Amino acid sequence: MGRIKKKGTAGQAKNFITRTQAVRKLQVSLPDFRRLCIYKGIYPREPRSKKKASKSSTPSTTFYYSRDINYLLHEPLLAKFRDHKALGKKISRHLGRGEVGDAARLERRGATKLSLDHIIKERYPTFVDALRDLDDALSLLFLFANLPSTSTVPPKTMALCQRLCLEFEHYLITTNSLRKSFLSIKGIYYQATIQGQDILWLVPYRFVQRVTGDVDFRIMGTFVEFYTTLLGFVNFRLYTSIGLIYPPRFNAKSDEQSGELGAFTLEGRGIEEPRQIESVNEHANGEDNGAMEPKKSIEEIQKQIAAIEEGSNTEQNISQGQDQYQAPDQEIIDAIDTFETTGDDADVLPQPQAGGIEAQSLFAPFTFFLSRETPRQPLEFILRAFGCKRIGFDAILGDGAFTNNEADPTITHQIVDRPPMASLPEEQQVSENSSDPSSTTVVKPGHRVPGRTYIQPQWVWDCINEVKLLRPDLYGPGATLPPHLSPWVKPTKGAYNPSAPLAEQEREGEAEEAEGLSDDEEDEEAPEDEEKSDDAAEDGVIILPSASTPAIANLRDDHGMTIAGSESGSDPTSEADSFAGFDSAPESDAEPALTQHQRELEAEAAGLTFSETLTKANGQPVKGILKASKGDEARKRAAKKRREEEEELERRKMMMGRKKRKMLDKMLHSNKQKEGEAGALRAKRRKIEAKKA
Amino acid sequence: MAPQPSSKKRKAVTCDSPEADQVLLSDGGDDSDTALLHGTRSQSEEETDVEDEDASSDLFDGYSDLEDEMDLEDALVSDQIPSTSERDLADLKRNGTATSSVTKEKEDAEGPPAKYKITEDANGNPRYIYDDIVPVYDSDDSDAPATQNTIGNVPLSFYDSYPHIGYDINGKKISRPAKGEALDALLDSIELPKGWTGLTDPTSGKPLELSQQELEVLKRIQMNEVPDEGYDPYPDTVEYFTSKTEMMPLSAAPEPKRRFVNSKHEAKQIMKIVRAIREGRILPYKPPPEEEVDDLQVKRYDIWANEIARPDHPMNVPAPKLPPPGYEESYHPPPEYLPDQNEEKAWEDADEEDRDKDFLPTNHDALRKVPGYDKFIKEKFERCLDLYLAPRVRRSKLNIDPESLLPKLPSLEELKPFPTTCATLFRGHDGRVRSLAVDPSGFWLASSGDDGTVKVWELLTGRQIWSVRLGSEEAVNVVRWRPGTEAVILSAAIGENIYLIAPPFVDPEIETKGREVLDAGWGYAANGATINATKEPAIQWTRPGSRLEDEGVLVKFSLRKTVKVISWHRRGEYFSTVCPQAQSSAVAIHTISKHLTQLPFRKLKGLAQSASFHPSKPIFLIATQRVIRSYDLSKQELVKIIQPGARWISSFDVHPGGDNLIVGTYDRRLLWHDLDLSVRPFKTLRYHKKAIRAVKYHQGGLPLFADASDDGSLQIFHGKVVGDMMENATIVPLKVLRGHTVKKELGVLDLDWHPSQPWLVSAGADGICRLWT
Repeated sequence: MGRIKKKGTAGQAKNFITRTQAVRKLQVSLPDFRRLCIYKGIYPREPRSKKKASKSSTPSTTFYYSRDINYLLHEPLLAKFRDHKALGKKISRHLGRGEVGDAARLERRGATKLSLDHIIKERYPTFVDALRDLDDALSLLFLFANLPSTSTVPPKTMALCQRLCLEFEHYLITTNSLRKSFLSIKGIYYQATIQGQDILWLVPYRFVQRVTGDVDFRIMGTFVEFYTTLLGFVNFRLYTSIGLIYPPRFNAKSDEQSGELGAFTLEGRGIEEPRQIESVNEHANGEDNGAMEPKKSIEEIQKQIAAIEEGSNTEQNISQGQDQYQAPDQEIIDAIDTFETTGDDADVLPQPQAGGIEAQSLFAPFTFFLSRETPRQPLEFILRAFGCKRIGFDAILGDGAFTNNEADPTITHQIVDRPPMASLPEEQQVSENSSDPSSTTVVKPGHRVPGRTYIQPQWVWDCINEVKLLRPDLYGPGATLPPHLSPWVKPTKGAYNPSAPLAEQEREGEAEEAEGLSDDEEDEEAPEDEEKSDDAAEDGVIILPSASTPAIANLRDDHGMTIAGSESGSDPTSEADSFAGFDSAPESDAEPALTQHQRELEAEAAGLTFSETLTKANGQPVKGILKASKGDEARKRAAKKRREEEEELERRKMMMGRKKRKMLDKMLHSNKQKEGEAGALRAKRRKIEAKKA
Repeated sequence: MAPQPSSKKRKAVTCDSPEADQVLLSDGGDDSDTALLHGTRSQSEEETDVEDEDASSDLFDGYSDLEDEMDLEDALVSDQIPSTSERDLADLKRNGTATSSVTKEKEDAEGPPAKYKITEDANGNPRYIYDDIVPVYDSDDSDAPATQNTIGNVPLSFYDSYPHIGYDINGKKISRPAKGEALDALLDSIELPKGWTGLTDPTSGKPLELSQQELEVLKRIQMNEVPDEGYDPYPDTVEYFTSKTEMMPLSAAPEPKRRFVNSKHEAKQIMKIVRAIREGRILPYKPPPEEEVDDLQVKRYDIWANEIARPDHPMNVPAPKLPPPGYEESYHPPPEYLPDQNEEKAWEDADEEDRDKDFLPTNHDALRKVPGYDKFIKEKFERCLDLYLAPRVRRSKLNIDPESLLPKLPSLEELKPFPTTCATLFRGHDGRVRSLAVDPSGFWLASSGDDGTVKVWELLTGRQIWSVRLGSEEAVNVVRWRPGTEAVILSAAIGENIYLIAPPFVDPEIETKGREVLDAGWGYAANGATINATKEPAIQWTRPGSRLEDEGVLVKFSLRKTVKVISWHRRGEYFSTVCPQAQSSAVAIHTISKHLTQLPFRKLKGLAQSASFHPSKPIFLIATQRVIRSYDLSKQELVKIIQPGARWISSFDVHPGGDNLIVGTYDRRLLWHDLDLSVRPFKTLRYHKKAIRAVKYHQGGLPLFADASDDGSLQIFHGKVVGDMMENATIVPLKVLRGHTVKKELGVLDLDWHPSQPWLVSAGADGICRLWT
C-alpha cells in the first residue's frame, strides 16, 4: 500500500482555480484581470465536478484552469499594468495637490502604449491559426469602423479600424478571395476563403447604431485593441505574401471625401510597377466629371465627346466579350463536373466550390453604375472582388468613382433600388441624350438609358452566390424579387429546402392529408367566423382557434357540420354555449355525432352511401365532401402506416438495452423536432401555394 | 659515566673564578670601571657558563632573583649566614653542586666602597657586595645568547657516538651534558620547575625550558589577549575638536555682505540656462518618443516569419464560431419562413431568454427598405462576453442515424412461418382440459381433462377418434406420448396413478409393437422386487383391470402423491414423473423395459415443480420453486444450479440444441437462459398480465417457442440459436394468439407444438383445445 494521498493535491482540485483566487494570485484588480484574459484569450472552464474543483463549500461560479493563471504570472503585460497603476496614483496625488501641470506631464510621459505583439505570436503560433480566429475580429472591427467614437474608444482607434478593414477588403479584391455574401436583416454577411480557411463576418448596414446602456464599451474597446493588432499583422502578412507593400499608400484627402476603397493605392514591391486600382487612375477623370462647374472649357467637352465615342466602341467590345463570356460553361473542360446523387440514402461527397478564376471573371466585362439610393460600400466591394473594374456612382456617394456621369455610354449595368415611375418614352430620352451632350450628366430619375441592364441590388448578391450571371429581368426595378436565400444552408435529408419544389420533399400522402385538413378548415371558416363575431359582440372575448392538433381539427370538423346542419333553425344551445367559449364544444358535439351516426345507419338501411345522404340532406356541394373523404382516406392510410411503423420500432426497441434505448429516444426526439419544423414550413408553403392558385 | 666528569669540571671552575674576581678587584672604582669590570665579569661568567652544562640564561635568572632577595635581606640584616646556606641549598637544587662556590666568590668580591658594599662574611673577611649591574643599551651584554656550539648546521646526531657534542669558540670540546642520574630524573619528575617543557633544545642539547616572559606571553595568548604586554586595546579617545559649542564668537568681525546678496555668478549661470530653454536649446523634459508622431501604428513586420505550429492540447478549447445565417435571417426570405400572427405574438410575449431566435423574420421587398438592426451592438457585445466569460466545455456530439442503433432484426419473411390463426377446435371435454400432447407422427392429439378422460383426436380435422375414462373423481393431470414412431404409447397420470396405454386405433402392427414394449418388463419387475425387498416396498407395476385392458390401457402403477408432470426420455426407454407434494419421493424415474421405478432424488431442496431429460446428454433437470438443478445421470452429481430469479417456476423447456432453456413462472415472467453464458437469465420477457402456465420450444427444427398464460393468450416468439458461441440468441416477439376464454382465473393450461409443422395446440380452461396454424 502506498502513501495515503492527501486530499486536494491532485486532479480537479488542483487543476482549477476560482476567479477570486486567480485575481488574488496575480495581484491585479478585476478590470485588469479582465483585460489580461481578453488579451491572452483565457477563458473560464467548466470542471467535470464543480464540487471537487472548489475548495470552499460556497458554490463558486467561475473556474479557470490553474495552468492558465500560472502562465499569466509571467506575462510582461502584468508589469505594465502595475506600472500604470503606480502612475495613476502619482497623477491623482498631483491632482490632489492642485498641480495640474505636473499631472498632465506625467500623463503625457508615463502613458506607455501597450504592445500586444508578443501575445499575437503566442496565441496564434501560425498564420493559419490567426486566420481561423478572424471571424470575430472582422465582425467587431467592421462594426467599430462604422461607429462614432466614445470616451473609451477614441477616434484614433475608429480611424484605425476603418483603415484596417479597407486594407483587408483590398486584399480580398486583389486576390478575388471573396466567395459568398448574404443580405440578412442584421447586416451583410461576407465569406472569404484565405489559405483554405473560411472566414465569415458580418457588417452592419450603415445606420446610426442604437447603443443601449447595458453595453460596456470598455470591454469591447479591449477587444478592439487586440483585434486591431491582430488584423494589422494579418494584413501585413497578406500583403507581403502577394508581393505588395504594406501599408498601402493612403490618400487622406480622398478619404475625407469618403473615397473609401479608392483612398488606397496598392504598390508592388521592387521592380514591379505600382499596381494601382483603376478607380484611382480614373479618379481625376471622375472628379472632373463630377465637378459641376459652370465654366467648362470647350476642350473638356470635346474630350468628353471623344470619350463617349470611345465608350461606344468599348461597349461593342464589351458586348462581344459578354458573348464570349456567356459561353465559358462549355469552354472550361478541366473544371470538375458536379455529381448529384439520385437516391435519398446515398452519401453526398463534398466537392470543391468555385475558385478564384470564376470569381475573377464574373463581373469583369461590365461597367456598373450605382444609383444614389443603393448602398455604395458593399456593392463596390463585392463588384470589385468579383472582377469588376469600372464602377461609377453619383458624386453624392463619395469619391473614387470610375465615372460620376449616369449617362456614360460605357455603363452596361445600372443598379437601382427605387420604385418605377411613370416615365417618358425611352426614345425621347435617348434623343435627348444624343442631341445635347451637356445634359448627359443629368438623367432624370426614372428614365432609362437604352442598352443598359437595370437591376436591383439583390441581383449582385444572388449572382455571386451562384457564381453565374442570373436572369436580370427577374431583378428589374420594381419587380417582385425572388426570395434571397442564404448560401450557407446545405440541403440535408429531411430538412426543408425552399428552392426545391414542394412535391419532392413531402412525405408520402402528406399533401392529400393536409389537403383534407385544409379543406375542412376552409369549410368551417365561415361559420367559425360568424360564431367568433357573435362572441366578440356579446362578451368581448375572442378565443383564437388553434388547428394544430388533428384531434381538435376533427372535433371542429364535426362542429362545423352541426352548424351546417342546423343552419336554418337557429339553435338555442349555441347561444348559451357561446359564453363558455370553446370548452362547450364537445358537449354540443356529442349530439350531432349521435345524429350523424343515426343518419349513417338509416342510410345503410336505405342502401345508400353516407355521403350521398348527407348531400341530399344538407344540400352541401358534393365536391367538398368527396374531397374530404379522399383526405380522410389518405389520413387514415398515413395513420395506419405510421402506427405500423411505430409498432415495428417498438418491437425493435424492446431488444435493446435500457441505456441504448434512452439514447435512441433522445435522438429520435431531436429528429422529430427537426422534422416537425420542416413539416410546419412545408405546411405553410402549401397554404401559400394554394392561395396563389 | 657522563655526570662524573661534569662534576669534576665544575669543581675546576670554582678554582678558576676567584682569580678573575681578583683581577676585577684590582681594577677601577668608578662607573666606567664598573662597566669594565662588569664586562670582564661577564667574560668570566661566560667562561663559567661555558663550563656550566646548563643553560646560562637560566642560571643568570636564578642568580638575579637570588640577588634581589639578597638585597632585601641585606637591607634588613647586615650579616646573614643562613642566607648563604639557603642559597646553597637552592643552588643545590637547581644546578647540582656547582654554584655554591660562585656565590662565595661574589661575596668575596664585595669589597670596594664605590658601587659595592663591604661586609664581613662568615669568616670575617671583607665581603664586597656589588650593586646590580644594569645592562644599558651600550653595554656589551646582549640578551641573545652567543652560540656556544660551533658545529654549525651539522645535525647533532653526527656526534651521537662521541662523548662531546661539538666545540666551543675556543676549540674546546663541549662535552655531552649529563643526562642526569636516576635520582635527578626522579627529582625532575617529582617537581617540575617553572617553564619546564620536557623538550630538548636541539641547538644546545639541553632540556628546553621557557622563561617567565615567554610563559606570560603564552598565558596571554591563551587568554585571547594581545601578546604584547603594554598594548592597550581601548585607549582613551583623544578629542581633537571640542564637543562643547562656544557661545561667544571667536572673532568679533561683522557678517560680510556677500552672505546676504545673491550670487551674481550664479544668477548669470541661471540666466544662461533660462535663455537656452527659451531658445529651445535645452528641453526641460524628455521629448515624447518619435513613435507617437506616427498617427496610426501600422504593423510593419511579419510576426509569422518563422512560424512553428503548436501541438494541440486537450485543455485548449478554441472558441466556437458563430453559425452561418439561415434562410429566415434573409432580408427577403421565402414567405413560408415569415411568422404568422400567432407566432409573432408568441415571440413577442416570450421572455427574451426563452426565444429560440433572437430576431423575428421580416420581409422587405427592396434593399432600401431594410432598417438598421437595433440589437447589433448588443449582439456583438454579448459575443465578446461569451468569448472571455463563458466557460468552454468540449462536448462530443453524436451525429449518427438512430436507425443504426437499432438492432438488426430478421426481416418478416425470415421470421415466417409461425402460427397465426386458429384452425381447429377440439370440443368434447367436460370442464378444463388439463393437458394435451401431439403424437410424434403428428397425426393425433391426446388431451386429458378434469372429467377424468383421455381423448385422442385427429389433429387436422378435430375429430375425436378414441376416448378412455380413467377415473371419475380426479382429473387427468397430464398426458404424454412416448417419443418414437415405431410404437405408439400414451402415458397419462390421474391422481397418483399412472397409466401406460397402447391405444388400439393405430395400425395393428404398431399396436402390437406397443403392447410388446409395455409387456416386456413383467418378469423383470418380479425379480427386481425380490432384490429390493429389504428396503421399503417398491412401487408395483400392475395390470389396471380387464375393463381398461380392453381399452388398451396395459400398465398401471401408483405413486404416493398426485402426479403433475410426465416427461419422457428421448429414446422412450425412461420417463420421469413429478409429484410436487411428495417430499422425498417427488421425482421418480421409471424404466419401461424393466417395469422399474426409482426415486433417485431423495434430498431435494424445495418443492419440485417440473423435470425433464436433456435432449442429447445424460443430464436430468429438475425445477424446484426457485431454481433449476441439472444433474449428470452418468456421474450422478450436480452439474449446475440455474437461477432464473423467479419466485415460482411453473414450467420449463430445454431447447433441442441443448444449450438454451426457457422458463415460465407464475410471476408472469418468461426467462431465456443461455446455459453457456450464465446461470442468470439472458433475457427476461414480461408480456403477460397473468401467470405463465406452460412454455415449449418447437422440437422440429423451427426457431419458435411459445408460452401459455392464465390471461387466456398464447405468445409466439422467434428464438434463433446460432451455433456460434460469440453470437447471442435472437429473440423476436412474433404473435399473440387470443381465443381461449378465461374461466375462474384460468386461461390456457397447456400447449404443444406439432413435431414438424409450425402448428401449435393449446388446452384451455374453457374445455376446448385449439390448433393454431
